[in-house]
Amino acid sequence: MEKSGSIDSLGSKRSSSRQPSVDSLSSTSTSRSDRSAQAKPPSAMSSDSMSTSAEFSPELRVKPKTAVKQVLRDSEKEEPQLLPNETVQDMAQDITYFCPFTGAVRGTVMVTNYRLFFKSTDREPAFVLDLPLGVVSRVEKIGGASSRGDVSYGLVCKDMRNLRFAHKQMEDTLRKSIFEVLIKFAFPVSNGLQIFAFDYGQVFPENGWKVYDAISEYKRQGIPNESWRITKINDHYELCDTYPSTLAVPVNIPDEELRRVAAFRAKGRIPVLSWIHPESQATVTRCSQPMVGVNGKRSKEDEKYLQAIMDANAQSHKLFIFDVRPCVNAAANKKNGGGYESEDAYQNAELVFLDIHNIHVMRESLRKLKDVVYPNIEDSHWLSNLESTHWLEHIKLILAGALRIADKVESGKTSVVVHCSDGWDRTAQLTSLAMLMLDSYYRTIRGFEVLLEKEWLSFGHRFQLRIGHGDKNHTDADRSPVFIQFVDCVWQLTRQFPAAFEFNEYFLVTILDHLYSCLFGTFLCNSEQQRLKEEIPKRTVSLWSYINSQLEDFTNPLYVNYSNHVLFPVVSLRHLELWVGYYIRWNPRMRPQEPVHQRYKELLAKRAELQKRVDELQREVTNRSASSSSERAGSPTRSITPVQTFV
Amino acid sequence: MLTGSKTTFKVRQMLPDIKERMLSQSGVNARSRDVFGLRCLPGECVLQRAVMVRKKLTAREGRGWLSGTLFCTHFRVAFVPQDSPKPDDNADPVLLGDHDVALASIDKVVVVGPNRTKLVTPNSSLKFTPEELVLYCRDMRVICFLFDRLTPDAQVIEITYTIAKTYQPLKPGSVLSFQNAALGSVEMKQFLSNRRRDTHMNWFESTSDWEQELERCGASGWRVSSVNDRFEMSTSLPRFIVVPQKVLDTELKKSFSHFNEGRIPRWCWRHPRGSDLLRMASFQNNIYHEKDDIRNLEMILFGCQSSLCVVVELGEELPSPADIQLAHSRLRALCLGDISTSVSVPDDKWLSTLESTHWLDYTRLCLRKASEVACLLRGGHLTVALQEAEDRDVSCVVSSLVQVMCDPHCRTQRGFQGLVQKEWVMAGHRFYSRINYHRDNDKEEAPVFLLFLDCVWQLWSQYPSRFQLTEDFLLAVHDSVHLPLFSSFLANCQRERCKRSQNHGQSYTPVNGWRDGPHPDSSSDPCDPPLPPVWDWALQYSKRRQDRFTQPVPPSPPLQPLLNGNLNTNPDAHKLTDTIPGSVFLFSRGTFSCPANLLPWRSTSSGIYKKSHRRAPSSEGVPGLERLLKAWALTDIPQGLTSNSGSQGPLDPFEPLLPVLMGPCMGLWKECYLRGALHAQAFSHPISANHPHPVERLAAEVQQLKDKLAQASAGPDVKPPIKTAERPLTDANLNQNTNNGTFLFPGSRPHGTCVSRVTAPPTSTNHQHASSRGRPPTTAAPSRSSHRDNSSKHTFLFGHSSSTEARPDQRYHPAPNNAKLPKSNGSVAS
Repeated sequence: MEKSGSIDSLGSKRSSSRQPSVDSLSSTSTSRSDRSAQAKPPSAMSSDSMSTSAEFSPELRVKPKTAVKQVLRDSEKEEPQLLPNETVQDMAQDITYFCPFTGAVRGTVMVTNYRLFFKSTDREPAFVLDLPLGVVSRVEKIGGASSRGDVSYGLVCKDMRNLRFAHKQMEDTLRKSIFEVLIKFAFPVSNGLQIFAFDYGQVFPENGWKVYDAISEYKRQGIPNESWRITKINDHYELCDTYPSTLAVPVNIPDEELRRVAAFRAKGRIPVLSWIHPESQATVTRCSQPMVGVNGKRSKEDEKYLQAIMDANAQSHKLFIFDVRPCVNAAANKKNGGGYESEDAYQNAELVFLDIHNIHVMRESLRKLKDVVYPNIEDSHWLSNLESTHWLEHIKLILAGALRIADKVESGKTSVVVHCSDGWDRTAQLTSLAMLMLDSYYRTIRGFEVLLEKEWLSFGHRFQLRIGHGDKNHTDADRSPVFIQFVDCVWQLTRQFPAAFEFNEYFLVTILDHLYSCLFGTFLCNSEQQRLKEEIPKRTVSLWSYINSQLEDFTNPLYVNYSNHVLFPVVSLRHLELWVGYYIRWNPRMRPQEPVHQRYKELLAKRAELQKRVDELQREVTNRSASSSSERAGSPTRSITPVQTFV
Repeated sequence: MLTGSKTTFKVRQMLPDIKERMLSQSGVNARSRDVFGLRCLPGECVLQRAVMVRKKLTAREGRGWLSGTLFCTHFRVAFVPQDSPKPDDNADPVLLGDHDVALASIDKVVVVGPNRTKLVTPNSSLKFTPEELVLYCRDMRVICFLFDRLTPDAQVIEITYTIAKTYQPLKPGSVLSFQNAALGSVEMKQFLSNRRRDTHMNWFESTSDWEQELERCGASGWRVSSVNDRFEMSTSLPRFIVVPQKVLDTELKKSFSHFNEGRIPRWCWRHPRGSDLLRMASFQNNIYHEKDDIRNLEMILFGCQSSLCVVVELGEELPSPADIQLAHSRLRALCLGDISTSVSVPDDKWLSTLESTHWLDYTRLCLRKASEVACLLRGGHLTVALQEAEDRDVSCVVSSLVQVMCDPHCRTQRGFQGLVQKEWVMAGHRFYSRINYHRDNDKEEAPVFLLFLDCVWQLWSQYPSRFQLTEDFLLAVHDSVHLPLFSSFLANCQRERCKRSQNHGQSYTPVNGWRDGPHPDSSSDPCDPPLPPVWDWALQYSKRRQDRFTQPVPPSPPLQPLLNGNLNTNPDAHKLTDTIPGSVFLFSRGTFSCPANLLPWRSTSSGIYKKSHRRAPSSEGVPGLERLLKAWALTDIPQGLTSNSGSQGPLDPFEPLLPVLMGPCMGLWKECYLRGALHAQAFSHPISANHPHPVERLAAEVQQLKDKLAQASAGPDVKPPIKTAERPLTDANLNQNTNNGTFLFPGSRPHGTCVSRVTAPPTSTNHQHASSRGRPPTTAAPSRSSHRDNSSKHTFLFGHSSSTEARPDQRYHPAPNNAKLPKSNGSVAS
């Protein structure tokens, strides 16, 4: 009933706002993010467009689904399509939104248990802002600063923007401001409520929870084999509660010894296989730091274990241990009982530090980046300002580290062990990037989903802590943009190898949008164990359900399946770029005039059409040559060589 | 294996199969050079050769290494890959092969030994055997050759010495010997003199050329004047200039003295909305004796628009040639990062160092100024006169950029070439002095033209689908500037070019006061070779590479612009109203004003104007003009813009391409400046190079099948297969660096959106072909004719765009083939 009420109240504006508007694109939310934030299932989408097109004038209805359509779709959202189980919580009139790009706008605000929806009343066509509450990091009441009793609220968002609203002082002091209501639903965890993902009941044709299955992924890699086995020792998360239940370990280490190794590794995160080279059998293994401590403790089992990892690869008599941290930090960890492997204890192992800084440094760097890009950019000092954030430098170090790992495995045919302190932040970045470089499977859409499910989700990257879903404690030192940084690195790879990835930029942006939106269950919780306990797969929808149900939106038409290709990117800062399409997408001036995304789709269609033509012509040639060669002996058609088709 | 620091690696691995292949080849080394397939120019001889050398391929070429033989001749360093096809002796000579570099382009020679690097000069001696030879070129290429262990040491050392001795760091006199090495032989002279000019571009050399341009722009009210036919009025202006019809030559003659170097206001271009673009030098000799003088000056300046003239002052805001030179030399130093010097910019200071070159600031300034001018012109019915003190540097940049932004014709290869002829070559940009080929005039050196190319690249990278020319073409122009071989660049104005060709074979004494002649002293040596124009691309680029100069699919129709605050999409709302006829405004630093002394003859000191025109300069009309520029202010989003659904359709093609100029949007032209990029050594997987993109393969396949079909169905009486379409070469390398969201273009040429939104029927010939085949000929006929109707807009999918001009060149042409096919198909089917 609340729902219908909302439609009525907005209904009066409908006729005016129905005009196909380019203008609403200039709202601070881009069309892209709007689409993703909305996350409408395909079925809902089609019915939605049907109903809206019926309201349009006839000549618009016949228009094909082109950029024009896109514009219509954006403007039509002037009243939100509520998602299943989304309910309106509060509405307010006469709210001012201070857009940093176009100035103050007056309008109405609606808050649901999923989103904030602002629609202007003083602009024609209407200006719309549609924001999933999950992206709100903190709400600040900027009280009393403005005169005439206005109350002002600032919304600091996790996705590189800040929003500011104001409304008149409430006359009825008992009534809560709409932003008080918003706080409640923006931070459900802190307010004893449920995250919206548990309510969202959309059904998709694809079930994303089935994308990843550890056993079949290991099988794809050829595990088990003569040197590696799959162990069920962690089936009940007793060996390590942050690891997945299925682990791949060297064959000749029995489960009993694994327990002793676990005792020597921080949080019990023993070295386990992430990836194995299909030919050389060189492996990428990951773990946490050894509990060496100030006294230089040793563990026979751990040493034997690493020896076993090395022995599993017959091609090399060496093992590289990549400690991702800067050397100083690794040494400092000894105070807390941690540390790094000494080369004396581990024979034939070479220890390399990759100098990547910790989560706090990264958080600070991204904060600086936000200052530089939002809302205003200083043109004349843009590059030096960007440099001073060090963000690209961190990206470079991560890519360089991953490159070294990939090179050792591919060119050196040597197995590597990767760890940081706990092995769930930088280690996940490095192993997954190296695997992306080494294995073309992970460069497909499904493969990338598997990669995230495996290296990030199942191996316990602590999404809940790093992102702080529904948690109001925005100063939490555990928050850090580790995953964003990883996606940025992937984007850098796609820039350098435009034909090597099946997915496009929109896919990456969509993943990051739903990292915060709390619409899907994919990025909730900290570990596989927690997700199982919370019955996430049963109670929520997977992001991959949504994505895999409309793959065409996320497909890169330039993709060529160069299997067996290893990508070695250039990691010089000269060849890295700031991901403008993500970090600066809120600035309407940054939007390019050439609709690349649209073009992608056209290209895909073109490709399919060409393929069809080849097939047709081929059939014809076969027919023709069969008939004409019988007519004219010695005609050139005889010599026709079969032409294979590709793709 | 890796050596080097954490982030810099070098690959020192050799693929076993290459090694074996090289071994098997080594037996043949000693024989004639034909084995290696170097085709010499007439008179060119090989000075030194080294076998089993590997050339490092750039990202654009697919990365990795290519093995072959390295040559050094008097003219070039040539590299012939093994397995390259045997040269065709009957083909026209090509100055430079795909892997060659002219000696004159080389800036520095550096060798890398086991533990050291050394800059090699003509006098230096080597104490070690180099493993790597790195050639740093003036056009910012870095070419790297790797010597194998199997390359005889003597060859390695000898070729290094030979290159170092012959590449001649340019000095007075060396240019001529270089030209002679390339073009001096009798055969070459003959060959060049028989070369036909490209008749599909406008050379702006004759009256009719200019008239053609007037007609193309629909510029009535203007005429071509030959008053400067003998360069008596102005030495730096071309022989023909375009002036208002109303002004007679006799009247015109009196005006020259009032402008610096006699560069009076001349017409450049007319916007389809009726505004004219003029350019002129600064005023001088500000004493006006006669009323008629003033009347003429006014007429020349106002052109056909009697109401309004805006003088755009360029000198103040735009970089001076000296600024440009400084910025470019910093950029060069930064990007080339010579490995022989230890001082290179650390990676973490790259961004701020790039910023401090100011190169990107200067491109932004030029683009901003050009955008402003484009917005003014769009307003309609006014005259915009660009004024620069000498009218030979940044005014070339701005006037040509405005046309690239506004005129789709200038975004085609031929149109662009014509534009450069018009606004640079003929307009008297001092190429010769600015490029400083002889290295004898450092004070004048300034790569103004390269700044312009960078600006065009910025536009291209933001609007790739609106250009028919490609980045490859821009690169080719960029690189050609550094070759002292082309008549287009080896003179400062048309007069010099004419002198040169007239005096060819005779001697002449330089005219007094003519100081910037191409060869100040003994230049008129009778054996001077004739110089070709730069636009004769076949001299430098193989057909295959020339094909990459243009997109095979026609540029897509412009889309409704996105209102992102950078565009003013509603110019009609800003009609200029109520301006008093004869108003002149100065546009400078983003604001309009009407200073009293803007036109010196109107200023108070000259009483004559006052007598005839009793009107004080007024500032009315300023608001109207300012509105034209509001495109730059986001707050001014026009109201009611979207009320008509028609606005969704394709836009006026003359809507200017206004670039986004915010910091993050100004890119560095990496494909040009970072081509060498030795600091960032990438690994390359053995098989990554040169895999065609599947779409490309599909395209080639469709073509192949069509040919076969035609052959099979037409029988023996039909001419054997139509020239197979050049495979549209894509840069589908897996690892090509791309720029801002645009890799669709270079990477995906074959499958652009030729089936566009403009016309309803499936327009590519492909479709018609498909649909008409098998049907009775009666249905085939109309579909063919409909194709012909559309042919001005659409061409064959993989053929060439002929949207702007017919291109009767060697490319595949669907029409004749097409006309035959349905009929014969029908007969076979029946």
